[in-house]
Amino acid sequence: MRILLDKFSKAFGAVSVIEDMTLEIGDGEMLALLGPSGCGKSTTLFAICGIHKVSGGRILFGDRDVTSLPPQERNVGVVFQSYALYPHMTVRENIAFPLRIAGKSSVEVARQVDEMAQLVHIEPLLDRRPAELSGGQQQRVALARALVRRPHVLLLDEPLANLDAKLRLEMRSEIRRIQLETGITAVLVTHDQVEAMSMCDRIAIMDAGRIVQIATPTEMYNDPHTAFVAGFLGNPPIAFLRGVVSGDAIVVPQSDVRLPKPNGARNLAEGTRVSVGIRPENFGPAGDVPVRGRISFVETQGRENLYDLMLADGSVLRSIQPVRSDIAVGDEVEWSVASDRIFMFDDKGERI
Amino acid sequence: MDASRDKTGLPPASGGAGRAPARRRLGLLDSSRGLGVLLLLPALVLVILFFLMPVVLTGVFAFTNMSTATGISGGAHQVSPGSLRVLTERYGMGELAERLGQPTYLVDERGLAALEETGIAPGIVASLRRGHLDESFASRREFERAIRALPDRPDTRTVKRISDAFSRSLANARFTDAGALVAAAEAIDPDLTPEEKDALASATYTGWSWTTDNFRRLTSSRDTTRVFFNTLFFVAMTLVFFNIGYAMFLAIATHYMPERPAGIFRIVWFLPRISPVVIYVLLWKWVAWDTGFLNAVLSDFGVRPRNWMLDSATQAWFFVIMINGFVGASMGMLIFASAIKAIPETHFHAASVDGAYRWQQVRHIILPQLKWPILFVTCYQTLSLLTSIEQTLLATDGGPGGATEVWSLWIYHTALNNYAGNLQYGYGAAMALVLVVIGIVLSLIYLRLFNYNALITRPRIEL
Repeated sequence: MRILLDKFSKAFGAVSVIEDMTLEIGDGEMLALLGPSGCGKSTTLFAICGIHKVSGGRILFGDRDVTSLPPQERNVGVVFQSYALYPHMTVRENIAFPLRIAGKSSVEVARQVDEMAQLVHIEPLLDRRPAELSGGQQQRVALARALVRRPHVLLLDEPLANLDAKLRLEMRSEIRRIQLETGITAVLVTHDQVEAMSMCDRIAIMDAGRIVQIATPTEMYNDPHTAFVAGFLGNPPIAFLRGVVSGDAIVVPQSDVRLPKPNGARNLAEGTRVSVGIRPENFGPAGDVPVRGRISFVETQGRENLYDLMLADGSVLRSIQPVRSDIAVGDEVEWSVASDRIFMFDDKGERI
Repeated sequence: MDASRDKTGLPPASGGAGRAPARRRLGLLDSSRGLGVLLLLPALVLVILFFLMPVVLTGVFAFTNMSTATGISGGAHQVSPGSLRVLTERYGMGELAERLGQPTYLVDERGLAALEETGIAPGIVASLRRGHLDESFASRREFERAIRALPDRPDTRTVKRISDAFSRSLANARFTDAGALVAAAEAIDPDLTPEEKDALASATYTGWSWTTDNFRRLTSSRDTTRVFFNTLFFVAMTLVFFNIGYAMFLAIATHYMPERPAGIFRIVWFLPRISPVVIYVLLWKWVAWDTGFLNAVLSDFGVRPRNWMLDSATQAWFFVIMINGFVGASMGMLIFASAIKAIPETHFHAASVDGAYRWQQVRHIILPQLKWPILFVTCYQTLSLLTSIEQTLLATDGGPGGATEVWSLWIYHTALNNYAGNLQYGYGAAMALVLVVIGIVLSLIYLRLFNYNALITRPRIEL
């Protein structure tokens, strides 16, 4: 079902968290609300499910205005960060809870619980209590409980935050599989860009209560609208250089780095300050603009190494390269930037 | 400077010798065990004096017939109409009782000496000694006839004085021990059998003695059944309606309230607990009595003024349960409220989006997770209600007509305060002992039920 937030605002007392936010989530789409802590992404999620009352604007499920409906009547499934499984109920009772509350017959309840257990692969655990489950298993139960009512929308609030790295990887693909299998519209709230990029059709990146950019993961990675977006996406993260427009080039002061002006920067006046974003994979032995510096840090990642290169002015560039053993900390190197892949931002962080 | 002088000034040998005896003097206190006992001693003394001793003494008193009449120290032997009746009825020695009960006059040296001191004519004394020494008379009339027949012919007043001096009746005489009593009795009746002596000694004893009669009396008394069911009713009603029911209502109501009003609300319901009992109960009495608040309001509607608290047994119960209930509800409220607070808020969010409205959340989320707090409050309050006395004592004092007499109050009325004036410590102690035993048994059951260790470990809610 399509979800539409129409000029949605939310304030807690005098503190305005979100103002005039408009967001449309297509039917069957999985959208990530990505942003740092306190950006309003969980608030948005709680407004969609009805736990928070909105201060302004409308929320539509399909064509139905649910703005004033209590959560009980919205038919949404929510997976909470802590899973919020009821500790006094078995797994079976937890999954059956929404159906029992809805007054379904016990035969119907049993059938649907079994179906859900099959979907999320927890059939052998049905008679355990939440305390007897691992984190990943609890996660699956929470998913099953959220989905058992066949909700209009599935909301996931940082669902992977409490799992260890290996489980996180596994549950990432599991949640995506289940979402695709059920064809449900889903909203994932996360602060982890890897999760957002790997699980979702589109990402809405939020900062300070505003949506900064909505795009598919690839689009967003390759064409960030702001320095904030560029900095948020990508691992290892992008590095920024402070530059000044000088003739037809961007010069990094107190260093010999001269980057060609990109198309968007043609009209910039001489001396304008800009910042230049260079992703680690676009800086290395291959490239067209040479940069000299000293290796300040080497991080081994197994297949690849991450190098920090300190420039003459003290700023740091990152480079990720296949493992090589000929470079150590303190070495002077000259590597190159692929100048067609750099992003330029003005001093407000807007893309040029 | 100082430190170095200290070091050099004290020869090592004398230092070592000086320290060794000091350590030996401390002796036991050098070990943590000895010191621990010493530090615990004041607490131990208090525990023994004020916690253990009352229970032990209750147990001891329960097996005596102590009362105001017997006193709590030892008694004496006294031949009273009562003890003579005991002699007749319990020992079947009616004849002996009759003999001892009758006044007896014995002319002996002791009497003569006493007579001499009263300044009576020596001639009379001399003629009495001469004519009647060691003679005894069974009645006053017989003895006085003999006195009148003396050569001096004393007047009537003198005759009375003389006969009084020789009165050797055992009636109302007090003896500090059984030997003196028996000696006196033998003076009247020299042919007492050993059985008669024993019977006499125990029948006339005024002090307390060991007995199991209290328990026999307790099991056969009809009051016991009545008071027992009163107590059961009182505990059950107060517990169900107030200590659990009303406390739960308050806890849940305040849970769904905004923080501030909820806090104020809790404090208001805590007032009965922290206000002085006497004032709290007096306020209730003032509400209920015939010139009180209730009547002031109701008289406008033409209702006859009455004491609502003591008007009927039902009304008395109503007030007793309310007065006790509002005091007890605050504890349950606090415990339940904090237990509800311990449920993560996301559980309520989850229940809401799962479709559960408030009453369904209460039914499916709150109540099942409050199993242990409910059990705990039930157990704790049962024990405290069983021994609760002050509110009921001040409100109805067990009235009207003993309708609200509960066990603890009954103990008080029996042992410490009753109309007849004879306080039956022994009987009251036996009642108290029953209560103590019930309390201990219940506590043991509860501790087992709870698996006490499980109560003090952290709840197993994993995130």
